[in-house]
Amino acid sequence: MSDVRTPLVEVRGVSKRFGGLQAVDAVDCTLFEGEVVGLLGHNGAGKSTLIKLLSGVYPVDAGEIRVRGVAQRFASPRDARAAGIETIHQTLALAENLDAPSNLFLGRELRTRWGTLDTDRMEHEARQVIARLNPNFTDLRKPVSAMSGGQRQTVAIARALYFDARILIMDEPCAALGPAETRMVLDTIQRLKREGIGIFLISHDMPDVFEVCDRATVMKGGAVVDTVNIPEVTPEDLLGMIILGRKRGSAA
Amino acid sequence: MTPRAPMRSRLDRLGFDARFGALVAALALIWLALAWATDGVFLSPRNLYNLSIQTCVTAIAACGMVYLIVARQIDLSVGSLMAFTGMLVAWTQTNWLGSAGAMGWLVSIGVGLLAGLIVGAFQGWWVAYRGVPAFVVTLAGYLMWRGAAFLVADGQTLAPLADAYQRLGGGQDGSLGPAWSWGLGVAGVAALAAQTVAKRRSRARYGARLAPLWADALKLAVSGGALLAFVAVVCAYPDPGSDAGAGKGLGLPVLVLLVVALWLDVVARRTRFGRHVWALGGNPEAALLAGLPTRRLLLQLFMLMGGLSAVAAVITTARLGSGTHSIGQMAELYVIAATVIGGTSLSGGSGSIAGAIVGALLIQTLDNGMVLLDVASAKRQIFIGMILIAAVWFDGLYNRGARR
Amino acid sequence: MKRKNLVLGALLAAALGGACTAAAAKGDVIGVSWSNFQEERWKRDEAALKAAIEAAGDRYVSADAQGSNEKQLADIDALLTKGAKVLIVLAMDAQAVLPGVNAARQAGVPVLAYDRLIQDPSVLYLSFDNAEVGRIQARAVLAAKPRGNYVFIKGSPTDSNADVIHAGQLEVLKPAIASGAVKVVGEQYTDGWSPELAQRNMEQLLTRNANKVDAVVASNDGTAGGAIAALRAQNLTGIAVSGQDADIAALNRVARGEQTVTVWKDSRELGRTAGRFAVLLAEHTKPAAIPGAQVWSGGSKKLPIETVFLKPVAVTRDQLKLVIDAGWASKAQVCAGVAAASAPPACK
Repeated sequence: MSDVRTPLVEVRGVSKRFGGLQAVDAVDCTLFEGEVVGLLGHNGAGKSTLIKLLSGVYPVDAGEIRVRGVAQRFASPRDARAAGIETIHQTLALAENLDAPSNLFLGRELRTRWGTLDTDRMEHEARQVIARLNPNFTDLRKPVSAMSGGQRQTVAIARALYFDARILIMDEPCAALGPAETRMVLDTIQRLKREGIGIFLISHDMPDVFEVCDRATVMKGGAVVDTVNIPEVTPEDLLGMIILGRKRGSAA
Repeated sequence: MTPRAPMRSRLDRLGFDARFGALVAALALIWLALAWATDGVFLSPRNLYNLSIQTCVTAIAACGMVYLIVARQIDLSVGSLMAFTGMLVAWTQTNWLGSAGAMGWLVSIGVGLLAGLIVGAFQGWWVAYRGVPAFVVTLAGYLMWRGAAFLVADGQTLAPLADAYQRLGGGQDGSLGPAWSWGLGVAGVAALAAQTVAKRRSRARYGARLAPLWADALKLAVSGGALLAFVAVVCAYPDPGSDAGAGKGLGLPVLVLLVVALWLDVVARRTRFGRHVWALGGNPEAALLAGLPTRRLLLQLFMLMGGLSAVAAVITTARLGSGTHSIGQMAELYVIAATVIGGTSLSGGSGSIAGAIVGALLIQTLDNGMVLLDVASAKRQIFIGMILIAAVWFDGLYNRGARR
Repeated sequence: MKRKNLVLGALLAAALGGACTAAAAKGDVIGVSWSNFQEERWKRDEAALKAAIEAAGDRYVSADAQGSNEKQLADIDALLTKGAKVLIVLAMDAQAVLPGVNAARQAGVPVLAYDRLIQDPSVLYLSFDNAEVGRIQARAVLAAKPRGNYVFIKGSPTDSNADVIHAGQLEVLKPAIASGAVKVVGEQYTDGWSPELAQRNMEQLLTRNANKVDAVVASNDGTAGGAIAALRAQNLTGIAVSGQDADIAALNRVARGEQTVTVWKDSRELGRTAGRFAVLLAEHTKPAAIPGAQVWSGGSKKLPIETVFLKPVAVTRDQLKLVIDAGWASKAQVCAGVAAASAPPACK
């Protein structure tokens, strides 16, 4: 898995400060094609802020983010998406009052030649993407407020896939899901991995991490503790790193 | 209109909005009750024509208020802004360009609109770019623009206004006449039919689920029929100014309302701007993360409201034939009430232009009917307040039953 | 730290400066509490009032209650604190203002009730005879239309003057109503004296009576304007309509024949007289000794109050010259858009 290819995403010495708090402190990490890198750490370790930097919500204070070797400057979420990074936030960022196609295309709506919204085409396109993920989800016209947790997750993931993201960031995708839906999400992650998509995965669930992740970067207090290959560590090792910041062995 | 909840899903599949239907049914009941109590005078063509004109001012402003409330904002300065822009229009006519000039009154309308847009931008800037709550900014506006209205002419009433301008008030020569009215009515029905056909065709092209043909046909029949019935009624009212007794037809204020309502309804349901406003109201965080220009949207919404307040002011001053600084007193409350009665939720994310217009019609119906019945103004206000509470309570029931 | 000192220093300087100007002024402080300065006519009142006070060498200080009873009480307190020797009060509400009047009395400061009644026997009440206003309105309308269907467009239900005016109207119309010559087919109060509301109410009254309305007794020019707009939409302009205030738009309507009469209360005269009386009161003249003062008990509580009533003046077509000559309105304003053929004498 590790070689000298250009990483899909390379984070070099990235820092972010909010007033008196150093939320992200000179973080280095990488993501290659077709791999899942877990971002681990307890609450307040800086994972969410790092995600927000990668998805363009905040500008970086120092350091750089490279996508396929090219340095990027994200002034807004649009820039991140233009670079091929799609983010599925913990809150899913779905508008409850709108339906699945509307959410999928939010900000990137398809239009007819008169400039009005092409709702039928959007529904058609949405249906195709969603069918790949969850064939049972057919009533696309109901609002998000009427959907189950799994269906909402499907919409969020479909949004990322539709726009041909090669880099996915998923922030605790299974946190609010039941076992069947969690299974569905993990299977989807495996499938996306096989298609060559690189995924940053934030999760607190050790079994999930060990099932899908290839490597893991552990953060504590805004800084990186260590980056490890999953096959080479045990859950206890990871916990030690997360809670105590205790380093262990080689990185990739 | 965005799809509603599972409980109403069967009606949704047929393409009917149950809440709007309930509102119209309530209105119809009230109309029948008033007709009975006034021995039919309430439903006379003349009174219905007057009712249509009286509703326009509130309805026009309510169309803009729908957008604002959907986006989780509010505007308490509508009435005061109406007074300020109305005074500017009147002042332009009486003191600057002279009411006799042919282009003078058109320019005066432009002045009023511009003032409305600027004030809207000012208020919107504080809300969008400085983070001051809309309630506070527009409450300040409520005070400021009323004072400004007084200052325009030192408190004086400005009159007379241009004759041509006064036609916009729906009074003398203020309507389209039977020929144009019928023409518009028929064109309207044709447009509705064309729209239904186009929608079905577009759905079919993508193999999406179609509502049954009979449901679409029924909807078309009902809305087309209502439109033609309205035209028939206003054409049945003989114009007091015409010797031949020709019908009045659609009042000019009603025409303005139709244009505004149609435009804003299309924008709400069929354009990116509308979609983004609804998303912003549904989940502001999602809108931000989706990269929507949220601050610019808010600014534009307040400018829209400012412009519509100016339009409302034009109609009021044209109707009154003069500019007084006291117009629009309490207008914002009636506008908000109309919007809420019409189904727009105060928590944001859902609203309907058609509902707001029917809401305004409901409120005006009560006022109109009660004066016919000689009810004192204090009692009228109590009645309208009770209806407002009932409407919001009913809305709460409807939504609670619909949520998972 | 430094900034705080600067601010304190500035405040101190301002206070000293203020005290200096206060000390330098000769004569007494005369405080005026306005109820709501934003209505059309009060500006003229103020100008005349101020001129009369300053001509006598006294100082004019004022406050605007912006329509709130509570604020008016606070304003009166503030004016007393500023050392007012006399208070002129345009009461927002005849009852609610009483605590302020009591405070003034305890401070030994005489109160002049300006234009609106204050229900307290210790005040000097100066006003135009509002009942006479109503009588003038009714007389002119009755003269124009002795028989027929009448509609009353009354003032604001919360303004006590509205009822006084209406009572005056009824006084004159009583015999005609009793004999059946005049039939009252509708009446409505108008919240806030709003012209828009008057227009809507008039529309409904016309509908209800199928346009069989021969005269409209409107209590002021704003509401008259609204009623006339409704009449115009029904092609009924020209029927008898009354008004009050002699505002420019109304005078123009009288010239055009759309309005029958307006009542001119030269508020400059009211302000001037109030200023004069205030100066006298400040020199410890008792209300009863004010020239022209008489005891009047016409208020709702029937309290005996020293009152000076100024006479309002009827302005019909033939009397327009009065207002033009007095400089109240210009000929151009009054005669704007009047057709030469039907012009009143003042416009020829």
